[in-house]
Amino acid sequence: MTIKDSGESHATGEPSRLARLELQLDDAVDRLADAPSVSRVGRAGRVFDIARRVLMEPGGCGTLEARARAMEEAGIFEGSDWARPGILLPTLTRHSLTSPEPMTVVIEALSELRLLAVAREDYAHPQVSSEQARSYLTQVLALNLSMLFGPPSEAERETQGKLALVSRQLLAHLSERIGFENVIDSMIDEIWRLLKQRPIQTETIREMITRIALCQADPEIDLGTSGQGATRLVSSLFGPTQACSEDPGIDIYEERLAMMDGAALQLEATGMARAMHDTGLVSAYHAVLVRYLLKDHDHLISEALGLSATGRDCLLRFHPLIRALLARVAQPETDQALYGLARLLERGILYQPPIPPALWRQLGLPLSDWSRARIKAAYGDMVDPEARLLEGVLCMLGQPLGVGQGNNPTCQSARALSMWGWSDPDYLLQMVTWAARDDGITMHFEGQPISSCDSGEGLSPTLPLDLDPVSLLVVPHLDRIYMEMGRRCIGREGDPHRWINPEFHGWWTGRAFHINVDVATGMLIEPETFLRHFYAAYHPHYNGDQPLIHPQPAGIAVTDSAARFIGWHAISILRAAPGPDDHMRIYFFNPNNDSGQNWGDGVDVSTDGCGERFGEASLPFAQFASRLYIFHQDPQEEGRLADIPAAELDDVMGYIRRSWGAERLPPA
Amino acid sequence: MEKDPNKGYIALLGWSLGAVEAAEKFDRRYVVVAPTWAEEYCTEHNIPYVPWNFERLNDRSIEIAETLKDMGIDAAIPLFEETVEWAGAINSVLMGNPRLHGQAVLFRDKALMKRRAQLGGIRVGIFEEAHEQSDVLRFFKRVNQTLLKLDGDPEDPIHLKAFDKAGCLGHRVIRSSEEIDTIPDSEYPLLMESHLDGWEFAVEAWVWNGKIQFLNISEYVTLGYSVFVPATPELEKYRAQITQQIELLIKTFDIQFGQIHPEYFVTSDGTMYFGEVAYRPPGFKAFELIERAYGFSAYQATMLVFDPHTTEEEINAFFPTEVVDAKGHAGCFGVYPRRRVVSQLDIPEETENHAYFDFHELTAPLEATVTKRTAFGTHWGLIFFFGEDPHTLRDLLKHQEDLDFYV
Repeated sequence: MTIKDSGESHATGEPSRLARLELQLDDAVDRLADAPSVSRVGRAGRVFDIARRVLMEPGGCGTLEARARAMEEAGIFEGSDWARPGILLPTLTRHSLTSPEPMTVVIEALSELRLLAVAREDYAHPQVSSEQARSYLTQVLALNLSMLFGPPSEAERETQGKLALVSRQLLAHLSERIGFENVIDSMIDEIWRLLKQRPIQTETIREMITRIALCQADPEIDLGTSGQGATRLVSSLFGPTQACSEDPGIDIYEERLAMMDGAALQLEATGMARAMHDTGLVSAYHAVLVRYLLKDHDHLISEALGLSATGRDCLLRFHPLIRALLARVAQPETDQALYGLARLLERGILYQPPIPPALWRQLGLPLSDWSRARIKAAYGDMVDPEARLLEGVLCMLGQPLGVGQGNNPTCQSARALSMWGWSDPDYLLQMVTWAARDDGITMHFEGQPISSCDSGEGLSPTLPLDLDPVSLLVVPHLDRIYMEMGRRCIGREGDPHRWINPEFHGWWTGRAFHINVDVATGMLIEPETFLRHFYAAYHPHYNGDQPLIHPQPAGIAVTDSAARFIGWHAISILRAAPGPDDHMRIYFFNPNNDSGQNWGDGVDVSTDGCGERFGEASLPFAQFASRLYIFHQDPQEEGRLADIPAAELDDVMGYIRRSWGAERLPPA
Repeated sequence: MEKDPNKGYIALLGWSLGAVEAAEKFDRRYVVVAPTWAEEYCTEHNIPYVPWNFERLNDRSIEIAETLKDMGIDAAIPLFEETVEWAGAINSVLMGNPRLHGQAVLFRDKALMKRRAQLGGIRVGIFEEAHEQSDVLRFFKRVNQTLLKLDGDPEDPIHLKAFDKAGCLGHRVIRSSEEIDTIPDSEYPLLMESHLDGWEFAVEAWVWNGKIQFLNISEYVTLGYSVFVPATPELEKYRAQITQQIELLIKTFDIQFGQIHPEYFVTSDGTMYFGEVAYRPPGFKAFELIERAYGFSAYQATMLVFDPHTTEEEINAFFPTEVVDAKGHAGCFGVYPRRRVVSQLDIPEETENHAYFDFHELTAPLEATVTKRTAFGTHWGLIFFFGEDPHTLRDLLKHQEDLDFYV
């Protein structure tokens, strides 16, 4: 791999220039750190200006990386979105790095370099772990590949001038420092890791694959031997079968389809299905094929969706409904719906009597003006909002563990949607109807109705846009209702989730409530008793081998890779079962968009390779128990204490003591 | 910073970020007295604040003096030309000294100021007040007559200044009688001065107990464009004479404490001509330059000399020795776009890459068309330089005039 010379003459000679700038920078950073709040903005401006010049120098990125912590602590990001690295979106970096506004480029660059220091564990950041930082930077590199490998385009030169160089130097530095033997290959691993979780939202992944594909196709860019592993990813989007392997464009592909006989079409159908089930991504060509099959080759649809006996049975039993759904969504703009539908059919949920009629209602559902506007704001108007929502509905019913909360503090709402998609799909469809058609949802709390229309603000201060179509419409209502339930619990002793969770999520949420944290002091209370209750309720060896029936909401104390406490987080427990190594594991759903997280002290959440189904996260039972702080249980089954061997109990307590419990436990 | 209740309690008249920052980091209690538009900002940043709109002094003016007195304020410091007279009036109440107000009036009215200076034996150029166009024409003709100019000789320019505006605001140069027609009526009355072919410079002096505690000489490279401190050795060689002049000024204006900012011309034979004096921080960020060069906060210095509780030990400990204690020379250049139509800010590489380049405060242009400058006008932002050698710095500042920063 070669990084092309930008063609612009570099500042040469004078090794002292960077050294001089470093002195100025240190002085400016000190002055910023020292400034009273009133003059911080001006002081920060000076730091940005010097940083911009440092970025222009060879080796400048290293200078800033080394000072990343000092600069952040001095307050360089204060008052901007960059102050909360946890909410930053890799997709937005492309805009900032190509911005004509120097400050935007510089603050973005400083933020990346700060995350680089975090990823390299030179800087223990209070808000992001080194894994998160690394994953974020990998995505940034993938999304900006053309800048890493190619010279500035005319447009960039025109709008950015010398700044275009800054972005390039930054990306080259990132890829070098983050220690990728081979940048592209690491990106490909990252993309596969995300895909294994089968998220409903695939836009970022598609964008990353597209960037790689563009680099591969560009004769100006020499990728060497790297990027071979991208073939499956690129082909799944741009050429999944032989008839479209060179990405000929939709018109030509349609012409080719028209020339095919039955055997050739069958080959196409199975090829498309294989690509889709391999990656979870659907090619636009796939949608074109299905639309073509709908006309005269209906019998091949089952092949094209890659259905098993169960799915095929559903397809045949509800044939008119499936045809009607496909007629709406089998188009390139809503191609992911095909995967959602295939998974939905495989789940057999159409055999639940309310589901087929509810889907018919969805097909004819009129959207409110507000709902249409929301969908257009998030997704543009390439396709009508009704079809976009239908795609979202099919995906959520097919991949209920693929729901993500976006960058919003609404994990409870995302968890609820996932839970309903899993065990109460017709209730989910009802919620979608109320939200999309009526702009309001009413739920009940202890017999009292709560309408989202009458409730105040939720946890999320702004209306989020980075969500799947269903979440986009439903989450704002759920969020307000959830907050209102919280308000109605004000004054009650203890944690309000005791009352909220069963009312919010569903009747199956056990009304017996266990918590091991004293809400007033934050100290752990009787952690061993808590664990004995938990084992007795959830561990197959202590509950008479009873598998979990419904997903149960639970609360997790999330820790970072250094095992430091980060915050409380809502998840749902899906099942407890032996992993491939026969050790008991807990499989759970994390509404966070990427469940693969390192919680420190060896507690490494797995998403693939330990018996997980798509979208599941898992941990060995003891490790999971060590981060648990809230769980629910059927009150009729409550009261038994599991007789856990001392060694296992010590094991769990050790994990607690070495992480979030360090300052919450009485001294040993 | 921790405030010392045994030291003075200071009111800053007018909103100045630099002054507030210095006050935040100083051991004196302080309060900002500023128009109501500053309120939100002060609340947000927890800055002690008293609202007051500084219009013309009137019957209600005593209110603010009494408010501050009731708060226990010891001294009021003017930050802008517009608050100089207010500070004088308020301090005359706070300190029980009615003469302070009269003194402030002298500083505010350029014609009165010149006469007072003349009475004190300070050398000033020829000046007169003008109330209408014909006064300017007559003055212009008379000055050139005095200089024995013949018809057709290039005429000597005269300078016009608004009575009560700071620095370059309202300052224009008249080079021909035709230009007189272009002066709008709204600028009258004004002060007319003969042009002195000399080297113009400014002084920032902190006076305490009737004596100079620190005297900085700011060297102008081009008036209205650039200034730096400390000055070149060529100008510093006049320091003894300049000090004498300032002492004369202190005596003439009966200044016991405060910070003054006079401007002088020195002609080729070493004669000093007094231009004007302001009783407030200079414009053009000279305070920032002094801080950069010497390391002390000039705003804090001003608070120190105003505070009646300040002790001699404090004064001696605070101020460094002029010139020898400077870590280098600090200068700034005010950027005016040279083109009529501009689209973006583009700092020349040679400027940015110069070893003396410190930082800039320029922002992207808001409008594409550049308004034609009438009087000296307002620059679009400053560029700061810092370096060892005063001559390099001077030439560098001069050179910036030939460069485009907005293209």
